[in-house]
Amino acid sequence: MGAAMAKQSAQLQMPEDQELPEEEAGRDAEIVEIADGADWNVVERAFLTRRSIRKFKKKQVPEHLVHRMLEVGRFAPSQGNCQPYKFVVIREPELLAGMEEYCVSECRRLSGAIDYTAYPEGSLKRIATKSAARLFNSLDPNMMHPIPLTATRAIAAGRFMVFHRAPTVIVILMDNHGIGVPAIDIGIVGTNIIMAAHSYGLGTCWIGFSKLLNRSPQWRERLGVTERFEVSEAICLGYPVGKPAESEIERATHEIAWFENGEKKILG
Amino acid sequence: MLKRLLFADFPVLDDPQACRFYPVEIDLERCDGCKLCTMVCPAATLELAGEKGAKKVRLIADGYGCISCNNCYAICKQQAIKARRHYKMTGFYNTEGLGKFSPPRKSFKAEPFCEA
Ligand SMILES: Cc1cc2nc3c(=O)[nH]c(=O)nc-3n(C[C@H](O)[C@H](O)[C@H](O)COP(=O)(O)O)c2cc1C
Ligand code: SF4
Ligand code: SF4
Repeated sequence: MGAAMAKQSAQLQMPEDQELPEEEAGRDAEIVEIADGADWNVVERAFLTRRSIRKFKKKQVPEHLVHRMLEVGRFAPSQGNCQPYKFVVIREPELLAGMEEYCVSECRRLSGAIDYTAYPEGSLKRIATKSAARLFNSLDPNMMHPIPLTATRAIAAGRFMVFHRAPTVIVILMDNHGIGVPAIDIGIVGTNIIMAAHSYGLGTCWIGFSKLLNRSPQWRERLGVTERFEVSEAICLGYPVGKPAESEIERATHEIAWFENGEKKILG
Repeated sequence: MLKRLLFADFPVLDDPQACRFYPVEIDLERCDGCKLCTMVCPAATLELAGEKGAKKVRLIADGYGCISCNNCYAICKQQAIKARRHYKMTGFYNTEGLGKFSPPRKSFKAEPFCEA
């Protein structure tokens, strides 16, 4: 044990400039010790109690709160600080209804072309739609995962909605000329906005289906999506029905490979 | 892409062996029929059934498509409903690196990972 520790400290020799000189200690950040098993702090608790909200009250979200959460978004990290996004805030019921209608019609079209579950095994229609589905799967396997497909089918059948009748929708436009992988920056800025909203007691839901709007030149024009931009995601926003954000829930654990003391452990 | 087109195994959507959605556990003793879970379920797999005044939640007949999000658990005041494991697909969409369900752990006891 002792020998292992000595070896380790030799490896982890601090370079000189990693520590401030003693007389400057007052300028240095204090190290806050957090005990193993300590209660969740406010930030952690906020993350653990955020849920996607798909049922909203009619009451509109005050305008200043929308601005406030977008301000929090503005300070999100992004690759090379390139901030490859613009926002479209939609609170016009007719516009929201139109977007919903368009996305639903696209889901119907897609379902019509590839939903082989609508036809019995062995039928010609099943074979035709299943071949189409296979082609789509190969072209874009992530979008064609069974979960979004099931949701597409539910939307087509009127059992699920795209924008969940939220009173406010924030569409995030992604600049395809950004640095590295702009979609990651979209995820981060959206998380900033969503967590700010959650802290005001508002409910949010990411809407990946909003991407369907890119297929329509009319909708691109109406929302001001210029050539180099695309609708990347949308965030539904409103006051939640019920109290969906009180309890922590269960989720799957993830595999963690841990390298330390010359050992590798696989933890869960 | 061509390789995927020819060789990839995409699970058949209406084959419960290929797309395994696990039903949520429901405790009928605890459920008071408040309906909230049916309103928030993103997979629309829940409904109320039973005598007027004594309705309880149940899975719809085609109770398929649960995404194990635990939205139902989060909103249920009675702790009557819970997803206990992640959905699982075969072939191309088979998951790797997902373990058993657990609530948030404040203290981490080094447990070896075991695939659910
Ligand atoms: C990028 C992204 C896109 C999503 N798109 C949709 C969507 O189109 N419709 C929807 O109802 N939920 C959508 N969701 C929400 C997920 O289904 C949800 O986050 C997941 O089930 C986990 O549940 P939770 O957010 O309540 O923890 C999306 C989530 C993300 C991160
Ligand atoms: S939220 Fe809970 S109590 Fe209410 S109907 Fe669902 S399971 Fe029953
Ligand atoms: S875990 Fe999510 S998808 Fe499954 S029944 Fe509950 S709310 Fe619906």
